[in-house]
Amino acid sequence: MAELSDKAREEFFSEAQEIIETLSRNLLSLDSTIKAGISDPSLINEAFRAVHTLKGLAGLFGAARLGALSHRLEDVLDDLRLGRINLGQDVLDVLFGAVEAYTRILQAEKSDSDEELDVEQLFVDLERIGAGATERESPVADYELDPGLLAVLTEYEEHRLRANIELQMQLYRLRVQFDLSTIDKVLEEMKERAKRHGEIITYLPTGEATSADTIELDLLMASRDDLATLIGSLGADNVVIEEIPRRARRSHPATQPPRRPTSLGRPDSVGLQPELERAGLEQAASLRSLTQTVRVDIRKLDHLMNIVGELAIVRSAFGRVAEKLRGEGQRKLAAELQRLHRNFDRRLGEMQDGILEVRMVPLGQVFDRLARVVRQISREVGKEIRLVITGAETEIDKLIVEELSDPLMHMIRNAIDHGIEAGQGRVEVGKPLAGTIALNAFQKGNHVMIEVEDDGRGIDLSKLTEKAISLGKLARSEAEEMSRDEMLALIFLPGLSTRESADDVSGRGVGMDIVKTNISKLGGVIDVHSESGIGTKMTITLPITLAIVSALLIQAGQHTLAIPLSSVSEAIAFDEAAVRSVDGREVITLRGQTLPLCRLDRLMALESSPDSASRRRFVVVAALGQRRLGLVVDFLFGQEDIVIKPLGKSLSGVRGFAGATELGDQRVGLVLDAAGLIEEVLAGAEAPRRLERASG
Amino acid sequence: MANLTQSTASRLARRIGDRGPVREFLMFALAGELYGLELTRIKEILSPPPITTVPRAPRNVVGVCSVRGLLVTVLDLRRTLHVEERPLTRRGRILLGAADSGEVIGLLVDEVRHVVRLAANEIEPAASALGGDVSEFVLGIGRPAGEFLILLDLPSVVSG
Repeated sequence: MAELSDKAREEFFSEAQEIIETLSRNLLSLDSTIKAGISDPSLINEAFRAVHTLKGLAGLFGAARLGALSHRLEDVLDDLRLGRINLGQDVLDVLFGAVEAYTRILQAEKSDSDEELDVEQLFVDLERIGAGATERESPVADYELDPGLLAVLTEYEEHRLRANIELQMQLYRLRVQFDLSTIDKVLEEMKERAKRHGEIITYLPTGEATSADTIELDLLMASRDDLATLIGSLGADNVVIEEIPRRARRSHPATQPPRRPTSLGRPDSVGLQPELERAGLEQAASLRSLTQTVRVDIRKLDHLMNIVGELAIVRSAFGRVAEKLRGEGQRKLAAELQRLHRNFDRRLGEMQDGILEVRMVPLGQVFDRLARVVRQISREVGKEIRLVITGAETEIDKLIVEELSDPLMHMIRNAIDHGIEAGQGRVEVGKPLAGTIALNAFQKGNHVMIEVEDDGRGIDLSKLTEKAISLGKLARSEAEEMSRDEMLALIFLPGLSTRESADDVSGRGVGMDIVKTNISKLGGVIDVHSESGIGTKMTITLPITLAIVSALLIQAGQHTLAIPLSSVSEAIAFDEAAVRSVDGREVITLRGQTLPLCRLDRLMALESSPDSASRRRFVVVAALGQRRLGLVVDFLFGQEDIVIKPLGKSLSGVRGFAGATELGDQRVGLVLDAAGLIEEVLAGAEAPRRLERASG
Repeated sequence: MANLTQSTASRLARRIGDRGPVREFLMFALAGELYGLELTRIKEILSPPPITTVPRAPRNVVGVCSVRGLLVTVLDLRRTLHVEERPLTRRGRILLGAADSGEVIGLLVDEVRHVVRLAANEIEPAASALGGDVSEFVLGIGRPAGEFLILLDLPSVVSG
């Protein structure tokens, strides 16, 4: 790749990435329209434009491999949109293959590797498709069309004309007077209204006008409706609609319009020259829209967020100075400073929200990638899968989105491979042939929930426990005592797979334990529900952002600790007398429900503060997903917005902390990892922890 | 600090003269012994800010502190080197150095002395000076102007 500044390179990669994602989305939509039996030419057009832009970009940045692929793909898409090739599943397969190849090429370019990428087969496939392009006999000659009009049709318009005729549409000529000052708007409106009846294929000035301020156009329209309907809908004083009659079929067809030579023979140069004749004016429009956005490295946002964090410390200092002034009797000055302090506080809050908003991206980004995976896997394993996505617009921190795609991919692979039954098996139990996988996202308070749900056979608990026992991860006596939820939790054990044989799709059962680890790294938890014969639902609960969080500051022993508020449901006074011991574990009863307790000072072996025995203590109820845990603490300081910084690598083995934060007076406070603590304490009673100890 | 080490270094340079490749070491005291760390490994010398202890951390970790917004893990060299533990005096300092992983680590020492320049022939390899069974932290023994200096290898100190 040519020498470029890092910034330009970054821009190039993220823009290329975006375009490839757009392309992938278009192909997915095409896939579903084909299945529904509709053809939507605008989707092929968009895909064509995406590839065309990518080709230009590749040329600009000297990315030869990217350019070569775009070049060939562009030819195929051009043949598709002009109807020279029929769009079927086999063609789509190759196109999806191209998306995968793009991704690999981009990665190679990114790491500056010159490694040989295996795209030969793809090129051969593209070539094969291109070779299938056929010239078709023009049925256009059957109509009494103005030869002047036919001569100026673009190749694309001609294709649309032919396609419409093949669909048995009737052709109409609309002679319309437009006011020169409003022609753009009125013409657009006209096209929009015409869509209900068919399609306006082209338009041409007639050269006749009734006054200097008007222009007369002939619009060529294809419609399934009859003349009367059209006149009723589109007719007006300035609109004259005529049906274009079919002419009697002649013995020799009209001369075919000239076709551009097939472009596959062209040398593999990556041209900078935009091919405006192909991409048309729409290209200019898409370029303009790009300038509305700015790409920002997320580390810069982190930096800004750190500054906001430091400003928050300054803000607290303001507050203290104001208090001090009041104490010294300087009431007027104190009030003035207090007002400034409030103002500062509000603006700082706005700034913080603004930065957070910039970090947010819709989950649709990762869902689109998953849709591609679903299509690919379902074709590989020969199961028909319907993917239903809701809540793709739900926003979440960019960094979380990046980390989500692998875990979600594992879950979906598992669902298709282990969950959904093979076609015949589904029919036998009275389910529709196509399996359904639902991917639902929604916001719930400070959390984003993502559900992956399938309507497959469900998790077979007896097989699962047998497998765990045969792998030596579980004693039979333990298995007999386990609750349903404890059994379901077995799927998160390393090395467990309920299918007898390992295969390409779900690998060797390495999936779910890694999924769980990755999700908890993001501060999230995962819950499983499964009904035999009905399906499995996995729910991921994630914080909305990792950048800044509201936290409850508490004291335990001599430590000031922060607990993210997102995982705190409430805090209550601690009554030592209400503590009961169940099976050697301390619990209290909160509103009729049993709440397991964890004494932070004992768990962490904290030095206790001298007066802790006599003081009133508190229970902070941490809740994540379905699980709750009462943390016994010495004191509650209140709520504060904090920036969490990760602990260094040398402390990576320390469990129970999500990081550290600055407390303002130059001190550092540790941030508790609520998910980790809940896991650690509650898992003591659940199966997996016990098993880890047994096997380790 | 930078000015001090510069002038010290140039003074020493004049005294030593030209005796082949020379390495610079920062000399510091710990439990009555003198130690050296290669100067290029040290990013900064700090008066200790408040340090927050980390429960469950490895024994040689004192805790974490913030250096202008950067979170630094502080190690107690006494615990790493198994020497007598004593509370810090006002001369106590933190040496900031980077581990191979890129993590910034603080090393707690009793007192920082000055920079010494050692030519290759002034450094005894650890094995020949101390026999085979040497701690992996020791690079060698330096003998500048009659002093006895234990030279430490920063990467193994911070990863140990």
